[in-house]
Amino acid sequence: MATVGMTATVIGRSARIVGRIAGDGDVEVEGFVEGDIAVTGDVTVAAEGLVGAAVKGRHLVVRGAVKGDLTGDVSVAIEAGARVVGDVRAPRVTIAEGALVRGFVQTSDDELRTEPSRGAHRALPARADARGRSQDAASRPAPPSPPSRASLPKPESAPSAAATPAASQAGAKRSPPPPVVPALKKLRGQVVRKRER
Amino acid sequence: MASTVIGAGITIEGDITTDDDIVVQGTVRGKVTAKEGVTIEHGASVEADVTGSSLTVAGALTGNVNANDRVDLQSGSRVIGNVKAARVTIADGAQFKGNVDMDV
Repeated sequence: MATVGMTATVIGRSARIVGRIAGDGDVEVEGFVEGDIAVTGDVTVAAEGLVGAAVKGRHLVVRGAVKGDLTGDVSVAIEAGARVVGDVRAPRVTIAEGALVRGFVQTSDDELRTEPSRGAHRALPARADARGRSQDAASRPAPPSPPSRASLPKPESAPSAAATPAASQAGAKRSPPPPVVPALKKLRGQVVRKRER
Repeated sequence: MASTVIGAGITIEGDITTDDDIVVQGTVRGKVTAKEGVTIEHGASVEADVTGSSLTVAGALTGNVNANDRVDLQSGSRVIGNVKAARVTIADGAQFKGNVDMDV
């Protein structure tokens, strides 16, 4: 009954499906699907393909656009030219250069469950370190390097460091750890810019 | 070129619309609309109203059919529903229940 991979399902370029796709076998989307895709086989979203809902499968390969969560039992590959808005979860996740992703990315399920507690543990030591470093940070003009994402404009550490040490501490608190902590906050709000080197 | 194929083992619940043709080997519940041909292969199960230029059925179809050109119910097919097309053929061994309307 279940002939996995025997006959691939293809949603053609001009096809539009509004509804669920489920079952066994591979699915290739070249057209438009507005509805969940949940299959036991592989799912490929071709460069022209557009999926407006969650996609679940064994191996997912995305070259087109997906607005919805991607869940791969084995892997998710987001290739160059792909546009993904949604969370990505799979034991193995690859994002190629030239792909656009906005969302929470998680490799392997186990770490996902421990993620929130880790965040909490990280937050406290990070602050303690920040206090220790704050004096160094105030004396140096170094801090601009981590906040380079947000505050490139000139009016940065110089006035705050001169005004009050408390303010500089607050600034320093934020500045060294930010790459980790606010990034997580941003992820929660799904406003994430994936930066590639 | 069959641009859209619903493979065996796949179930679609919802509407399918395409400018090209569709081949169904799996299960579809909802609605199927194609500008070109629709083929329901042996082993496929479709519970949907089907619209297209032509329709060939070798599997099971429950639903009304509206084809611009022709409808062919092949041997072994099982169709329940009304069929409206300029030309309709029902092969020996096909099971069919419904109205046939060959008004042009």
